[in-house]
Amino acid sequence: MARDPKYDILFEPIQIGPKTLKNRFYQVPHCIGAGSEKPGMQAHHRGMKAEGGWGACCTEYCSIHPESDDTSRVSARIWDDGDVRNLAAMTDRLHQFGALAGIELWYGGPHAPCMESRATPRGPSQIASDFELNIFPRYMDKDDIEVVQQMYVDAAIRAREAGFDIVYVYGAHAYLPFQFLSPFYNRRTDEYGGSFENRARFWRESLYKVREAVGDDCAIASRFAVDHLLGPISIQVGEDGVRFVEYCDDLVDLWDLTVGDIAEWGQNAGPSRFFEENHEKPFTGQVKAGNHTNKPVVGVGRVTNPDTMVAIIKSGQFDIIGAARPSISDPFLPKKIEEGRPEDIRECIGCNQCISRWEIGGPPMVCTQNATAGEEYRRGWHPEKFHPAANREKSVLVIGAGPAGMECAMVLGKRQMSAVHLVEAEKEIGGCVNWISQLGHSDGKENLFRGSARGLGEWKRIVNYRQIQLDKLKNVEVHIGSRLSTEQVLEYGAEIVIVATGCHFATDGMNAATHAPIPGADASLDWQLTPDQVVSEAKRVGQRVVVLENEAYFMGVSVAQKLAGEGHDVTLLTQAAEIANYMDYTLEAPMLHRDLDRLGVHIHTYTMVDKIEPGLVHAYDVWNPAHQEQFEVDTVVLCTARISDDQLYRELKADKDRLESEGIEGLYVIGDASAPRMIVDSIFDGHRLAREIDSPHPEMPLPFIRERRLWGEVSNDDYVQQLRNTADVALA
Amino acid sequence: MKIVVPVKQVAALDEEFELLDDGSGVDPDFLEWDLNEWDTFSMEAALQIRENADGDGHEVVVVTVGDEEAEEGLLSCLAKGADRALRIWDESLQGADVLAVAKVLAAAVERESPDLVLCGVQSSDAVYGATGVALAGYLDLPHVAVVKGLDYDAAQATATVERELEGGLVEVLRVEAPALLTIQTGINEPRYATLRAIKQAREKPLQVSDLADLGLEEDAVGQAAGSRAVALKPPEPGEGAEMLNGSPAAVAARIVEIVQERMSG
Repeated sequence: MARDPKYDILFEPIQIGPKTLKNRFYQVPHCIGAGSEKPGMQAHHRGMKAEGGWGACCTEYCSIHPESDDTSRVSARIWDDGDVRNLAAMTDRLHQFGALAGIELWYGGPHAPCMESRATPRGPSQIASDFELNIFPRYMDKDDIEVVQQMYVDAAIRAREAGFDIVYVYGAHAYLPFQFLSPFYNRRTDEYGGSFENRARFWRESLYKVREAVGDDCAIASRFAVDHLLGPISIQVGEDGVRFVEYCDDLVDLWDLTVGDIAEWGQNAGPSRFFEENHEKPFTGQVKAGNHTNKPVVGVGRVTNPDTMVAIIKSGQFDIIGAARPSISDPFLPKKIEEGRPEDIRECIGCNQCISRWEIGGPPMVCTQNATAGEEYRRGWHPEKFHPAANREKSVLVIGAGPAGMECAMVLGKRQMSAVHLVEAEKEIGGCVNWISQLGHSDGKENLFRGSARGLGEWKRIVNYRQIQLDKLKNVEVHIGSRLSTEQVLEYGAEIVIVATGCHFATDGMNAATHAPIPGADASLDWQLTPDQVVSEAKRVGQRVVVLENEAYFMGVSVAQKLAGEGHDVTLLTQAAEIANYMDYTLEAPMLHRDLDRLGVHIHTYTMVDKIEPGLVHAYDVWNPAHQEQFEVDTVVLCTARISDDQLYRELKADKDRLESEGIEGLYVIGDASAPRMIVDSIFDGHRLAREIDSPHPEMPLPFIRERRLWGEVSNDDYVQQLRNTADVALA
Repeated sequence: MKIVVPVKQVAALDEEFELLDDGSGVDPDFLEWDLNEWDTFSMEAALQIRENADGDGHEVVVVTVGDEEAEEGLLSCLAKGADRALRIWDESLQGADVLAVAKVLAAAVERESPDLVLCGVQSSDAVYGATGVALAGYLDLPHVAVVKGLDYDAAQATATVERELEGGLVEVLRVEAPALLTIQTGINEPRYATLRAIKQAREKPLQVSDLADLGLEEDAVGQAAGSRAVALKPPEPGEGAEMLNGSPAAVAARIVEIVQERMSG
């Protein structure tokens, strides 16, 4: 089907300096955990988006020198010929699909701790990083400034050699050029500090030198946070923000606009529970609206809706639709619009699991919606193409339509299994997503900063996408409201049975801290609740509530937000150093803490519950159990362990003779029923099994390609020489 | 006891579709075939009556008028538990109207001498809501239409049925078998068939008959027809509609504007 003419504007080419962008879909720089050291992952992840129609794809931030080393977080690097070689794999792949390749040249200053290179970062003033712990830069004198600017130039020349079309001088997220521009970092009194022109000088000179070096061949871009969101102590859009764009407009071919910094970059990569689509518009939208630039502008806002994209261009906010997360969630987003099937777009849910892995430092990126993200090369998975299964004549019963079951049934359907029945006990598919997506709200009022507690409603997109796909698959039947007994499963007539029955919260306080139930904990009582009971509102909640948060992710704090928003006096206890630790990684923590503080929620960390009595919770300090504290309560919420609902699986597995006599050849357990986990991992688990359902042992994941040096494959002496040769530039 | 359930394989339109060049119908490329939703409820009602009846020898027979495309629907009924199926087809039945189909069904049902005939209230594609009632007329059976509740007493051969009237009033009727009921959606929760039942359905008897097998003549069926579709056309676009596009927030903002304009105007 042809695309709707109302989307034609998204497919109009646009000139960026010497390069032509074929359409308005642009993958802005974002991390994936590949860098220059996993060239296969880098090339194939970006290449997948090029295949899916994105007009340009960029690297993640790409270090220009060992002085800018973000280890253990994974950046790209273009330090030497070896990096040129490895990144050229990416540009080649993008060019095969007609996409432009962009590289984001990065020098982090004090934000780069240099834990691998052991180098000393340089910065405009000697102020410790507000992002890293205890990292001070060396003050840059004028010689240092020239040295670092030459690093940009050398890197740009290498980037051109690697085949890049768009070369960034990256200053957003408060990295070095922005550190010069912002008085929050820059306390200099020479011609690189003080007045606007002085503070802008480093960035402008760097742009000029890079442009002189490669500007005839490559488009020059700059990523710029138009507002630091710190008020008058730093860059504000209405002041130096638009002024800087005007000041350097002659030196760039493309502006890539953002807001905020790296210390709280959730203001840019806004999680859906606090930020709606196109949330940066009040800031980034001012640049073109105020006629401050004559150059094309790209910007982001987790935009997944093609109508919003059209509105963004038509309203003059941006010329080009930038995307990081929406392009991870659906690498084929442009193609789906072009082919007139926008209903097939796998919309980003804004959970920021992708970001969490970068924040953790090291692991490859993951995506809740797109289980193939990051697996393009190492497992050979394509998000839209599915090989017919070798055993597709088999019929499959999937029990439980939660995240794992939905995904598994969908992929099995796409792999053309003869018949797939997805049977769900509840009245609708979705499993835990159906009640989890009702959380995340508090009292509906504006938060203390930008955004508000919008809740996890967009997580329901997990269900919506799969519902639409399942409806389209003729070989998949979905049956709801049907709880199958072990006997019914045995007699169902499926050759392959997959159990995806989820999990439940412990009702006795069993937890990861003490590995034991909590004396007195009993969620069968009317004044003790598990989180799902809070959502179902089956029990009355009293005024004084203690929430025991043992999980370290969103559940306990979301319950606290809801109850505090409804007017209860809520106290959060956690055995950990902070509540909801994982939400630091998903960038949800800062806004969450603002909301909890506004709601008056009391937080006690390093605090574990000893026992629970009617009206009283006895707690202790985990470092000094003798230090006891008591909390008077009316209601206790036990956000403690989750336990697999695997009884069906265990009963089926126990009777091997019966499985055989009933013709059941394969029995598998996936998702929370196998082991409780995050939704992103449940979906992966379901996807993985379906992708490998025709392997010799589907329950055992096939090995994946590990991009690493194989010792002695070439003579170790030759290899050392090869490494030295490619590293010459950096060693010189 | 025997229950006959007449069913229909209906055409569902794709989201976007085109009409045939001569305007006589929808281009079949844009149609998907499925068992009529109402018939899943009448089938379930029949299966429940059979399951609740004492003793053996009870039978649910599913019958349809349709070409090979309709066989899938019959198989799904057999998979759910119907005992046997009958498909009646003859090229002359192409384009047959409600009365013609009812006449053909009547000939088939008469041979079965059932205690009950359970039809769906209507088919989702043609929406006449008349086949069942016309069938009752041909068979000269007592009938109740649009049944929302059904309790069959096999020993007394009596059905107590409920219908919903205006204001939510419930009309309770008693009808003696043999009788014909047209069943409304929501009366029960239709079951689904397991994979094994779907496989085994192919082993169940599925008889195909033509008009001659039923002792009917083409002309007699043709004469029964009361009307014939001459054209199918899309609705004329109305005036004054404004399509709202954009993000949910933009759409909501526009709705607020419109409401304010109307209220102030």
